Amino acid sequence: MNNPITLNKLRHSAGPWKLGWRRLRQDRVAMCSLVVTMAFTIIMLCSYAGLIARNWNAEVANSYSPPTLHVVTNATSAKAPVGIQRDDPGPPVDISDIDPLTPYYQEWQERTKNIAVVQAEHATHLLFGADKWGHDVLAKTIKGSEVSISVGIVAALLAVLIGTALGALAGYFGGWIDTLLEWLYNVLTSLPYILLILAVAAVFSRGFTTIIMILGLTGWTGIYRLIRAEYLKHTDRAYVRAAQALGASHASRMFRHILPNVSHVILVQFSQNVVGFIKAEVILSFLGLGVPVDMVSWGTILAETQEELVLGKWWQLVAAGGSMAILVTAISMLTDAMRDALDPKLQE
Amino acid sequence: MLLSATCWLAADSAFAQDAQPLKVLRTTLRTAETGFDPQRINDLYSTDIAWQIFEPVLDYDYLARPVKLVPGVAQAVPLAEQDGRVYTFHITPGIYFADDPAFKGKKRELVARDLEYALKRLLDPSLNAPYSWLVENRIVGLDAFVAAAKRTGKYDYDVPVAGLQLLDRYTLKISLTKPDYNFLYIFAMPQTAPVAREVIEAYADDTMAHPVGTGPFRLTEWVRKSKIVLERNPNYRGAKLDTRYADLHNEWDREVIASIGGKRLPILDRIEIYPIEEEQPRFLSFMNNQTDIHDETSPVYMNQVAPNNVLAPSLVKRGIRAFREVEPELTYDEFNMEDPIVGGYDTQHVALRRAMVLGHRRDQEVQIIRNNRAMVAESPIPPGVVGYDPTYTARDQDYDAQRAKALLDMFGYVDRDGDGYREQPDGSPLTINYLLPTGMQYTKLAALWVKSMNAIGIRLTVSQEQFADLLRDQQVGKFMLTGAAWIADYPDAQNFLQLLYGPYTGSSNRARFKLPAYDLAYQQSLTMPDSPERNALYREMSRLVLAYAPWRLGVHRSYTHLVHHWVHGYDRHPIAHTRFLYLDVDIDARQAVQGR
Amino acid sequence: MSLSQFLLRRILQALPTLLGVMLLVFVLFNWVGGDPAYILAGKISDPARIASIRQQLGVDQPYWVQFWIFIKQVCTFNFGRSWSTSELVSDILLSRVGPTLTVMIPVLILETLLAVLFAVLVAYVRGSLTDRMVMMSCTVAMSISFLVYIIVGQWLFGFKLGWFPVQGWSDSVITNLVHYAPLPIFLTVLVELAPSLRLYRSFVLDEMNHDYVRTARAKGLSEHAVMLKHVLRNAAIPILTNLGIALPGLFVGSFLIEVFFSIPGLGREVVESVNRSDFPVIKATTVYLAILTMLINLLVDVMYRWVDPRVTFK
Repeated sequence: MNNPITLNKLRHSAGPWKLGWRRLRQDRVAMCSLVVTMAFTIIMLCSYAGLIARNWNAEVANSYSPPTLHVVTNATSAKAPVGIQRDDPGPPVDISDIDPLTPYYQEWQERTKNIAVVQAEHATHLLFGADKWGHDVLAKTIKGSEVSISVGIVAALLAVLIGTALGALAGYFGGWIDTLLEWLYNVLTSLPYILLILAVAAVFSRGFTTIIMILGLTGWTGIYRLIRAEYLKHTDRAYVRAAQALGASHASRMFRHILPNVSHVILVQFSQNVVGFIKAEVILSFLGLGVPVDMVSWGTILAETQEELVLGKWWQLVAAGGSMAILVTAISMLTDAMRDALDPKLQE
Repeated sequence: MLLSATCWLAADSAFAQDAQPLKVLRTTLRTAETGFDPQRINDLYSTDIAWQIFEPVLDYDYLARPVKLVPGVAQAVPLAEQDGRVYTFHITPGIYFADDPAFKGKKRELVARDLEYALKRLLDPSLNAPYSWLVENRIVGLDAFVAAAKRTGKYDYDVPVAGLQLLDRYTLKISLTKPDYNFLYIFAMPQTAPVAREVIEAYADDTMAHPVGTGPFRLTEWVRKSKIVLERNPNYRGAKLDTRYADLHNEWDREVIASIGGKRLPILDRIEIYPIEEEQPRFLSFMNNQTDIHDETSPVYMNQVAPNNVLAPSLVKRGIRAFREVEPELTYDEFNMEDPIVGGYDTQHVALRRAMVLGHRRDQEVQIIRNNRAMVAESPIPPGVVGYDPTYTARDQDYDAQRAKALLDMFGYVDRDGDGYREQPDGSPLTINYLLPTGMQYTKLAALWVKSMNAIGIRLTVSQEQFADLLRDQQVGKFMLTGAAWIADYPDAQNFLQLLYGPYTGSSNRARFKLPAYDLAYQQSLTMPDSPERNALYREMSRLVLAYAPWRLGVHRSYTHLVHHWVHGYDRHPIAHTRFLYLDVDIDARQAVQGR
Repeated sequence: MSLSQFLLRRILQALPTLLGVMLLVFVLFNWVGGDPAYILAGKISDPARIASIRQQLGVDQPYWVQFWIFIKQVCTFNFGRSWSTSELVSDILLSRVGPTLTVMIPVLILETLLAVLFAVLVAYVRGSLTDRMVMMSCTVAMSISFLVYIIVGQWLFGFKLGWFPVQGWSDSVITNLVHYAPLPIFLTVLVELAPSLRLYRSFVLDEMNHDYVRTARAKGLSEHAVMLKHVLRNAAIPILTNLGIALPGLFVGSFLIEVFFSIPGLGREVVESVNRSDFPVIKATTVYLAILTMLINLLVDVMYRWVDPRVTFK
């Protein structure tokens, strides 16, 4: 509506977001971090769209091929023996007298001849090396980023949604709602975190949404605390009272008036949660509660590195560990810079 | 000065036989132990430790391969009487239990009544003994006795049972309801080891922590899941190595004879056992000389230990020795024969299972996941057990994607809607679920299955469940395909073939396989001793498994056990595993390396 | 209100929380926790044996009966015996707390001292290149997964260089502190130092932005004196509050460290008991930790009000 107060604000000064952005632009480290984060996001989206790393699951190299700058491809090597051999194996045993499929043997043999055989070429060296199956580590890392980053973002969204909603309710209404939510908060934080995670993991079967549930349902308490404190501060402020006088409903006051003023806190918390959850996914994968078997994430890659390091195969550790470190560092520094840039105390 | 001080210390010490330092052996367990009450333990590693404390009635000869039953506390291995229905055990007089407060200061001799007590204990309802099946439905009068006890609510050990007859103080005569030629094997298992009734009644709920046996060692310290300490049992009657069945071409047998032959056993004074479940710390602590024996090296480290199946030079230089054996065990995946989609004995469903078996890349499982440290299983019977046929080769379980695809096409499992996955012949969707425990090693196996099935066009989903839920679902038949493994309880093929015996559906026959021809062959084999006729029946059962494919046969895993050069007498037994009774440690050699 | 009234009020407030914790644990593990009877039944079992075991464990009784038993257990502090090892639950917990604390208490002390020291040093040169470099290294250090630290650390320091034992634990506290604990402590401090340093630095800087600091400088006090006599004493309040919040976590420790270094601690015990559906241990651990958390929070609140004269009991 044409509220004279709001119109004045629009005419005279830029909003806090624009100011924050201007301040952020001047911070070189923050800009660097932003570029890195964007780069990872673009790679992740390309991977999601299937433009790159689509065949991460294909065996394209020999087992544990080392990294190199010069990729070499060879035809498949001769068939190696399978397992421990017996000294005196006999001829294959004949089951045709008891086999229910015996009447079909002839047709079976003819059909088999018509089935095409799939041949594969294996490289001996890849850019980032290969894992034990011969998968390209670079492709795995890129595909893994898709899962890890999306787990981080969606779980953080969930945690932020729950925490903000509950924090707003508690801080705004106070009274018995606050008491009830405080009780819930106390109960959840009294349990050891690991116990909570294992319990939630046991409810749902293993899957992508499960990890999001696990992380989101256990990770909202931090933001809840902050949002509740903010709402406690803001609920009694003049502008809210004014809105109330003008007939704004509870929902309107909570979400149209107060929420924009705490949005910078939410953004910073969201960002921190993304980082925290990307790291937590690694631990979950190690515990065997991570993504399902046909998906790859940085966590599953790092869980494999435990046995590889003793064998001297370091490339998966460097690739996945390094990518994660770079991205997490970039997001963390961006978050710090955002917090400084958006801090209302520093705004004139 | 130093000499007199040493003498003074020696005279003062409790182990004052000679003025020598204690011989201590340190080793590890891969999975934490649960306890040491022989009738109550369930898991492999607790059983192995209980075997050092208790003496079963029969034993396995240390060096004989294939394994051979020899007397334990019995004077001799009983002969089968009345066509395998009656066995008489004579306990050697003069064997004493380790001292314990429950004996009220007196030395307690082992008598036949202790064996009778142990056997009855296995069926005590309050114990829910995991190995009760060893004596269930076998012994005359015993099941009636148990049923009566359940009705009255009191399990009275003093009530005599017809099939367990005490002929005198040292003799027990056991009568069976049916002929059983494999019956003696259960007496070489710690689960049937005689126990003292006073001890069990004195410690009631806490018997897991108070094992009192007649064996060479006793439990002196136990920090659960962290440290187990065994020390020499002063009441043990002593033993000597029997070299009758040794293989003088085998370097390990020769070393055993050279180092402990003729000596009074046990030589070790103290054994410290540390459960370490994570592979990296367990392996590295052996490599760092913190432990003396490393059982069951993980396949992951085998490439470092023995690349190309030859022991690495760095290990040879350090004097580390590697003992390799294919264990009498089997891994397999089982179909639920009662499932409407994958189960059934008609040609269509047999074809589906056979195709899935042919499509599964067992070769990659062996080469990549197991690093070639396994032997492909041609039949359910592993090497090292009576009834194993080393010339039996099964082509129908080897990887062959072409044959798999042809078979599926032939029986109507084709992809009609173009999504890349085949449907059932009637057009309804085909999704098969593979049920596994949680954990990294199972994830790898599951991923391989998914990949294999994708390559032949079958949609496979994976469920990984917590152990308790998994066991329940497997037991009640709530699965389509699941993984399993079986380690021999005793060295006869029957122990493996019983897993597919129809009447055992609901207990050990998890695949719920009910084929009359198979069941008939099995029942017949029970009534025969080891003979060509029985082997023919075993072969018949193996062929039926190939034809109807209730299982996807996996592998017999090979294990490499690592031993430092200061450990002597090591010769790991396929059933009894590591026997501390026969080991020796060269303390000076160890101290020289450790520099401590 | 007086101290005793405050304490009484807080204890009364704690009871619903405890009840909530018990309810949550009970619901979660009865609903989702696997049936332990199948694990205990052994290799070959049948429905009759499963039913018998369930009856023995008491899980076949209706839920309200089981919950009532749970309440009685909490009141008498007797949770019976573990379902998988038959050990007395109280024995299990008592024996596990020791090793966890042997690692976590030195970690807390070292990490706090180092973090405060570096925070103060960095505050001296705030805004400079050194400050930004230190902060950047903190961020990078925090971006590496704890798992990677442990895997690489154990391999490098334990195996490759041989400076520490790869894993292990003994009975004597001295041996543990000197021999087995250093590497786990070192790795944990390494991981926890960076976030603590960032936090304490922000506390110190917040204090330094206050007016009284400007006044002190205007009065002619040296930078040292300003820092030590004024800023640090005031920053001590949030630092101590932070320590108080971290104290309950001390008792569970880090299960990752305990698993990798074979330390028989409480964190590892929690994970294992969940895997084995060992309900008595899970119940006891949760209830004791919840009570401990509430007690520590209470203690911290009391101390907080005692240290900061501006705050009164509400």
